[in-house]
Amino acid sequence: MEEVLKVENVNAGYGKLHILFDVNAKIYDNQITTIVGPNGSGKSTFLKTIFGLSTIYSGKITYYGKEVTNTPPHEKTKLGIAYLPQTDNVFVNLSVEENLRIAGYTLSNEETNERIKIALKVFPELKKHLKRKAGHLSGGERQFLAIATALVRKSKLLMLDEPTAQLSPKFAETIFSKIIELKKEFGLTILLVEQNIKRALEISDRAYMLIGGKVVYEGSSEDLLSHEKFEKYCLGIGVEV
Amino acid sequence: MLGMDVLTGALIYSNLLVLLAVGLTLAYITTAVPNFAQGSFAVVGSYTALTVYRLFHLHPYVSLPLAFFAGGLVGLASYMLVLKPLIKRGANIVTLMIATLALDLILLGLRGIYAGYLGKITGSPCEMFMFTYLDFQILGLPAILVVSTLVIVITFSVLFTLLYKTKFGVALRASMENPDLAEIMGVNVEYTRMFAWFLSGALAAMAGCLLPFKQEIVPSTAEIIIVSIFAASIVGGLNNIYGALIGGYIVGLSESLVTYWLSTVIGAGVLVYGKVIALTMIIVTLLVAPQGIISIEWRKIKKIKRWCS
Repeated sequence: MEEVLKVENVNAGYGKLHILFDVNAKIYDNQITTIVGPNGSGKSTFLKTIFGLSTIYSGKITYYGKEVTNTPPHEKTKLGIAYLPQTDNVFVNLSVEENLRIAGYTLSNEETNERIKIALKVFPELKKHLKRKAGHLSGGERQFLAIATALVRKSKLLMLDEPTAQLSPKFAETIFSKIIELKKEFGLTILLVEQNIKRALEISDRAYMLIGGKVVYEGSSEDLLSHEKFEKYCLGIGVEV
Repeated sequence: MLGMDVLTGALIYSNLLVLLAVGLTLAYITTAVPNFAQGSFAVVGSYTALTVYRLFHLHPYVSLPLAFFAGGLVGLASYMLVLKPLIKRGANIVTLMIATLALDLILLGLRGIYAGYLGKITGSPCEMFMFTYLDFQILGLPAILVVSTLVIVITFSVLFTLLYKTKFGVALRASMENPDLAEIMGVNVEYTRMFAWFLSGALAAMAGCLLPFKQEIVPSTAEIIIVSIFAASIVGGLNNIYGALIGGYIVGLSESLVTYWLSTVIGAGVLVYGKVIALTMIIVTLLVAPQGIISIEWRKIKKIKRWCS
């Protein structure tokens, strides 16, 4: 199995606020890896750190063997890393079409058109809204658009921060099935932070548990799901950090 | 009765104010910097035109492209050398505002030195000047009215095409709305900020190139006109480029026409206090519609009116 991303002894945070402590992780090709942990455990910071949106104090991040620890976000996008934040993940004042176009900013026009066609095949729901402002879409449709932009970006590694937050169960389930489709049909590697832990682990291959900014579990998502203390672990109870 | 001269004067002034306000708004949207040196950027254009006229005897209208680039470079340099380093260090809006005030005073000093030098080599004082005597008529209208209107039409056509029809323009709009997300999408947000500051300085300098056709350039011109520039941006909406267009005309026409009307009622002495109109408009806007006219939901107001009646 090819190693897509390797995080080694990373310490990171925001300014003087230290959040991640000696974090190590490996993300493998064409797998879904879920990061779980109680609120404030550093899950979102973990994704932001990989993408270059937080301060890295020490440690090393490699992507397909190439060091990207201090590579700026727009350069990481060119390398095929996509990150979708939990909120504000589309441009509300731009049309749906413009959102998809801007996602192909680093690609040629022909390539962007081709990628938009592919994205709209996966998310046909967006076709009828192409000329509408993204701010006029429903929460679920916005999330579809956000994931569609990652597809346009020709990403190899897709990092999703709570993609089903504030969505109805129906829309949330559609998002989960789209994530599976992205892995199977497009061979994407997916790194997921999700509030619906059980469902996320069900569709995942591997999992990491973060508590207090430290990795306390690394292994198959199946093992974590069937662990007798799973419920307590998710709340951060009974785990020694 | 309102004279034709007063009306054309008001329109010329409004055209120039629009250009100045668009630049201020652009810099504010992209970098959140309220630029108090915008008036000084304009005077860079005035001196570019004066230099070309005095040294090469070319009409100031010919200097418009040169003023565009000179102002653009001053805008870009101001961002790269002063504001970018401060933003990187996490400076807040007050710090940035003070920095632009300092920048304005530096440019005032440099302007004085340059005016003295230009006066010395041309043998004619350059501290105060006007171009009104150089203007001519086009189809019975003052050329400055035609030229400034053409500059507005061309500027907005190009700006609209850039923002809505080009990849870089969409990236610029995306960076204005959400710079973090734009960076995530692969846009080099820094380039868009540099471009915005270049354009801000360039548009101001074009206005400055035409300003001596309307009023005398004096050492404190930049510091006087900045009040009206801010008024235009705030009245229109500091977060919207089209707000600057609307605000520029509202403030420009009000400042000129209301002051003229007051002078006919109270006396000519009131003309000196024309900026009071702009300042009053700033306060009223901040109290009634802090986001500017562009943010007012007219449909809702109509509905409320209908409901009331």
